[in-house]
Amino acid sequence: MTSLSYNHFFILSLIIFMIGCFGLFLNRRNMILILMCIEIILLAANINFVSASVFLNDINGQIFSIFILTIAAAEAAIGLAILVIYFRNKGEIDVTQINRLKD
Amino acid sequence: MFLLATFYIFAAFLVMTCLSVLFSKNPVNSVLFLVLAFLNSTFLFILIGAEFVGIILAIVYIGAVAILFLFVVMMLDIQINSLALNIKRYTPLAVLFAGIILAEIIYLSIFKSNNPSLNLITKYENNTEQIGNVLYTDYFLEFQLSGIVLLLAMIGAIVLTHVYKPTIKRQNIEKQNMTTAKDRVRLVKVKSGEGIDD
Repeated sequence: MTSLSYNHFFILSLIIFMIGCFGLFLNRRNMILILMCIEIILLAANINFVSASVFLNDINGQIFSIFILTIAAAEAAIGLAILVIYFRNKGEIDVTQINRLKD
Repeated sequence: MFLLATFYIFAAFLVMTCLSVLFSKNPVNSVLFLVLAFLNSTFLFILIGAEFVGIILAIVYIGAVAILFLFVVMMLDIQINSLALNIKRYTPLAVLFAGIILAEIIYLSIFKSNNPSLNLITKYENNTEQIGNVLYTDYFLEFQLSGIVLLLAMIGAIVLTHVYKPTIKRQNIEKQNMTTAKDRVRLVKVKSGEGIDD
């Protein structure tokens, strides 16, 4: 690996995906951190799409990365809105208590 | 060689900032590290010649999503103590999960991939033009649909966070339509020189 190749980006995006999943597994309480971990996972997907698009010389990957960005923005908006109303009702953002919403 | 060195610098920063997002005590620091991570991936995209997606990533994520996170984190006033990572309990599961996927994909990338390298052929149209040519023709319907998704997300967020307060005077359309002229206007004959009482 003396020059920049696709495997560099592939392994980088893999490591970032792993960090995101690791955060989801380790942290089961803080809802904001869970949303941020999802953003990190989507960033890993974006890196993979864009680098594959550049190295395989096919522009469609970058188009898909733009669509992923759109969905990520929508997801962040809805997730944070849910977070805000949950905090307003409960006064905390502990996900382990979220099953008490049915009470 | 220069490309490779730059890649390693930004990739190392990216991994470190992503780890810092997870392990910062304060949620505000986490969000700021997330911004730094997005900035680093922007640099990586520009490095390999995908300028448009890189700049869009910077604008959308840093300008919109991360600032949204920052607003929410600062608005909610969370106790930092109660949000400690419960590392001991879930570490074995997380390490197992990470190890399996890592092994699989490293195996695939080393033994099964043909590993294309960067070909810096100068194209006669730049990155933005290429994306525009495909996005507005082949993916036109998907482009419109993503706009609808954003509209729905906006409406959803507004409806979810909207507060009904009884003290605020709002337009009551039903009441407004039921009103007749008699409820609002009273015709009074005024004698000259006397005026009206009430």
